[in-house]
Amino acid sequence: MGSPFDINGGACVAMVGKDCVAIACDLRLGMQALTISNNFPKIFNYAPSTYLGLTGLATDVNTVSDLFRYKVNMYRLREERHISPRPWPTCPVLAGINQTTGKPFICGFDSIGCIDFAKDFIVSGTASDQLFGTCEGLWEPDLGPEDLFETISQALLSAVDRDALSGWGAQVYIIEKDKVTQRLLKGRQD
Amino acid sequence: MTSLMDHQARETVGYSFSESTAGVKQHGFYPYTDNGGSTLGITGSDFAILAGDTRSTSGYNINSRMVPKVFKIGGDDETGEGANIILSVVGFAADGTALKERLDTVVKMYKYQHGKPMSVSACAQRLSTILYQKRFFPYYVHAILAGLDEEGKGALYSYDPVGSYEREQCRAAGAAASLIMPFLDNQVNFKNQYIPGSGEGHALVAKKPEPLPLETVKGLVRDAFTSAVERHIEVGDNLQMVIITKAGIEEVYHPLKKD
Repeated sequence: MGSPFDINGGACVAMVGKDCVAIACDLRLGMQALTISNNFPKIFNYAPSTYLGLTGLATDVNTVSDLFRYKVNMYRLREERHISPRPWPTCPVLAGINQTTGKPFICGFDSIGCIDFAKDFIVSGTASDQLFGTCEGLWEPDLGPEDLFETISQALLSAVDRDALSGWGAQVYIIEKDKVTQRLLKGRQD
Repeated sequence: MTSLMDHQARETVGYSFSESTAGVKQHGFYPYTDNGGSTLGITGSDFAILAGDTRSTSGYNINSRMVPKVFKIGGDDETGEGANIILSVVGFAADGTALKERLDTVVKMYKYQHGKPMSVSACAQRLSTILYQKRFFPYYVHAILAGLDEEGKGALYSYDPVGSYEREQCRAAGAAASLIMPFLDNQVNFKNQYIPGSGEGHALVAKKPEPLPLETVKGLVRDAFTSAVERHIEVGDNLQMVIITKAGIEEVYHPLKKD
């Protein structure tokens, strides 16, 4: 049996642009080499312009996303306001725009909560090596929303095509101050 | 490439107390080391480029910052003059050197016996045979062979350690192959790129790969390596680029980050 991180496969990436951020994931859910589903999104929305991407063992993707939804709901009831993107020690890839400052924000975590504040991009999942290569090669500072969409999409699609455990389409969110665009990419179906 | 070296990981778990086999010393002979580094080859309509970083590592140590991985094959021993084939090797450096020496000798012997230089396609088949002859004690390298074919077009052949080979437009090998290869798919073969406005959904027309000009390819090679250096610890120090055209072979070095 392989590492629990590699059983179900999947990839997630977040990028910073000029006054916007993007977060994208693939849609595959597998058991080792066998594909179980091609409609398993790994990005979850918790508040206006606050998105969380989770890769790894699928059961824990569900557990963490549900637990986090519960915690965020409790926060909203207690504080009577929405939560803003800031470090939270359970999530692999976080992307959003701070509602008060308007600043784009992304960060990544390892499975036990060590935070990686990046100014450029965060990658995670079984295609992380490939994503590091494509993001490092394609990303540049201060991309507008449309250019950022093209960059994150090309980076993700090219990366998952070189990883047997990821792919089967992708989902991309472009988050601006007062607008979120969700796009579904078909990608290679193999 | 690390599978034959996994024994080190399994040998000790890393407990501070001794295990039950304490006092029993086991000796073994491990004939391979992974010397890290990465190589990359791209062809165009009338040229081929092989490139590699010049770092040589073992584990977390840097053995040297100047060990070239790309060699001229079949030329003068000192200058490489007269060569029309280039070879890059990455993996176990000692096997790489041995393989390059053997292929160099074979190509020279061919020229002496037949009175004409060996073609790239013939050399490619011969290299496959050399690798397969050591099927059960392989040269632990990922080799890439390049030159110009009979029509003067760029030719590139990539190999696994036991001689399976294929002619390709581009290939990355070595430690950072997984980082560089998807970037090349996208930028050289235009994978996942479509012609804007050519149709909706399935009617969208994919952008056809076409041979790129030399200056564009040089730029891609340098971008690929600066990216790899940023995210892979075994890649760095210098970038060696060997360009083969009908005018001959040009070799250039560029500095890379040394951290």
